[in-house]
Amino acid sequence: MDFGSFLTVPEIKVKVVTYRDIFQDKAMIENRFGEEYRDRSAVIKLDPADLKQLSVKKGDTVILKNSFGRVVVRAEESGYETSHRGIAYMPNSPWSNILVSDETGGTGVPKFKDISVTVTSAKGEKVTEPGF
Amino acid sequence: MTNAMELYQMLPKTNCKKCGKTSCMAFAVALMARELTPDDCPPLKDEPKYREGYEKISGLFKPSEGATETGLVVHEDLCFGCGNCVVACPVNVANDPYGVGSGNAPKNINKLILTIENGIVKAQNVGECRRFGKNKILCNGCIVTCPVEAIEFV
Amino acid sequence: MEKNYHVCTGCGLLCDDIEVESEKNIINKVYTACRVGVAHMKEGKEEAIFRVDNKPVNEETAISEAASILKNAKNPLIFGLGTSTSETHKLAIELARKTNATLDDTSSFCLGSLVEALIHNKIKTCTLDDVRNKADVIIFWGADPSDSHPRHLSKYSYFPRGSEKQRGWEEERTAIAIDIRKSHTAKICGNYFFQIPPGGDTEFIDALIAGLSGKLPKTSYNYPPKKILELANILKGAKFGIVFAGLGLIYSLENLEPLFRLMKALNEKANFHLVPMVGHYNMRGFNENLFAETGYVNSVKFENDIVKHGPEYSIVESLKAKTVDAALIIGSDPLSSLPRSIAKNLFEIPVISMDPCETLTSRNAKVYINTAISGVEAGGTATRMDGTKVSFKPVVETNHPSDEAILKKIMEAL
Ligand code: SF4
Ligand code: SF4
Ligand code: SF4
Ligand code: SF4
Repeated sequence: MDFGSFLTVPEIKVKVVTYRDIFQDKAMIENRFGEEYRDRSAVIKLDPADLKQLSVKKGDTVILKNSFGRVVVRAEESGYETSHRGIAYMPNSPWSNILVSDETGGTGVPKFKDISVTVTSAKGEKVTEPGF
Repeated sequence: MTNAMELYQMLPKTNCKKCGKTSCMAFAVALMARELTPDDCPPLKDEPKYREGYEKISGLFKPSEGATETGLVVHEDLCFGCGNCVVACPVNVANDPYGVGSGNAPKNINKLILTIENGIVKAQNVGECRRFGKNKILCNGCIVTCPVEAIEFV
Repeated sequence: MEKNYHVCTGCGLLCDDIEVESEKNIINKVYTACRVGVAHMKEGKEEAIFRVDNKPVNEETAISEAASILKNAKNPLIFGLGTSTSETHKLAIELARKTNATLDDTSSFCLGSLVEALIHNKIKTCTLDDVRNKADVIIFWGADPSDSHPRHLSKYSYFPRGSEKQRGWEEERTAIAIDIRKSHTAKICGNYFFQIPPGGDTEFIDALIAGLSGKLPKTSYNYPPKKILELANILKGAKFGIVFAGLGLIYSLENLEPLFRLMKALNEKANFHLVPMVGHYNMRGFNENLFAETGYVNSVKFENDIVKHGPEYSIVESLKAKTVDAALIIGSDPLSSLPRSIAKNLFEIPVISMDPCETLTSRNAKVYINTAISGVEAGGTATRMDGTKVSFKPVVETNHPSDEAILKKIMEAL
């Protein structure tokens, strides 16, 4: 493994809290494949200090990764929801669902609200397409 | 929101009565109620030493874009159409207690200040708003109930 | 002048006071509905679409293809129905019986367990009209109605005047938000927002129960005991309290026991009710309708007149274990709403998608039938989040077939 390049990219671990957003819901009803829905869904809101540590500016794309999947979304600063380092907010969407565990303990209920990911700068890579 | 005291601080405070009011404080109150404009105070308008205050006050009362004559601005892009402000506005409640006052569709739409049209709040009859006119109070019914600060007074 | 009000089926609140101006079956203006409701009402589109293998076909071909998929399957999955009428539910249950299908809806991975507890009278509940008329202490727990049910606070739970609440929300109601995130609803609750860490709900419940009986409330995350005691005192004084339980709360609990404990403790000191924050307009209706037919609210498997039930018959487990060999998906988009690691198994079986709009699921389905928007282009009855039955007529006419009509035709073709 090439540890050199690995270390130069700052990486943080965050817990993702998903939520619903009225404008995102509205955009979904209007067109699930539209730009507005993507802009409002493929987003992660991070604490300003976490953004700084990643050397990522608001609006840049970041890679979110865990053992279930990888997705590129836009990074934003958390606002009214009050920010904490290590806690990130993401609207519930096909993008967040890429990162949800398939582990259910046989209950039929995935752990939608219990998502941990590592975040790194996507260095300009485009937001993931919602398709398969 | 500015109050009369803050306005008073920016006035000449000489109580010269050229504005027709008995004191600068009374003038400030009249400004708040939009009965008079900053231009109605001659010293403020003409004397260079008050220029800073004049510009500040004029700035406050300059109707900003989209503002109604009473200064109520709706940020349509932010509004959820949730109707919280519609149901909480005391004027709405007084004029339509069983319609919007009880959370329902308006029964008396012509007398209301706030209504929801196409999912966005619409302001009308703003002259009735409690923040303005003679018996004004610092009503904030439509501000504290809004999830997104979509209504503002300028 | 009697006004002609419509019902909005945009969410589980089923607002029944919507005025609409339309011309030639196109809705131009919508009054009183929220932004989501307006988008929902104006969703309508032009031509009816039927597709098989991504090629346009006529209605007949799509239906016979759908019927043959169901006929050839040993264990088809029928899923969705949260945005279908109760009349459609009854047909879907009948179809599931006929085809020995596994039948489930989204409630199996959201609020189904809570609705079941209400059906079994395990928790005291009330209607939203009761809340409007009487509630003095309102708790939003793991729920953000401002975003999910935008008119919730204005129409029922906080701001309106009610028969026993004439003086208004400032004086007579206290709204409380308990959540891991400062939501828009939490913002409105101001000082009565209690922010807890992710997964901290059970502990908070037990601390609150301790506080209710005057004991020192302790949590591993050191929530200030003074604040919990303050909250407990408000709750103790409630003459008509209501807990609106959202997904945030339910996902954080292993099972419902802590919630039962809390409701019991609250009702020893005060008078408290619970209403689930059901999202889809007729999810609760599906639970009730299936319960009436089978004694279960979701996750059932029909097998020659017997009905089996258990998590293994939920959409999630049956896709994970690959026990189903075809899927009929009605008004739902599991490819978007399920974890991708599970949803991808849908690619291995033939899928029939019935939906008023294009979704990831419809685009990847073998058969796609574009149906009328339930509640806007087709009428029927539904159950509101609080259990109240609501019936509605279509707002505009359409050439799109309703899901009810399609199910009838599929059944005939079988
Ligand atoms: S004219 Fe201006 S300075 Fe004179 S009293 Fe009125 S406000 Fe004061
Ligand atoms: S300030 Fe008060 S009276 Fe004026 S619109 Fe807002 S709620 Fe109504
Ligand atoms: S202005 Fe605010 S309170 Fe009023 S409808 Fe819009 S979002 Fe709701
Ligand atoms: S709150 Fe729900 S039911 Fe009411 S108008 Fe909005 S979307 Fe429709």
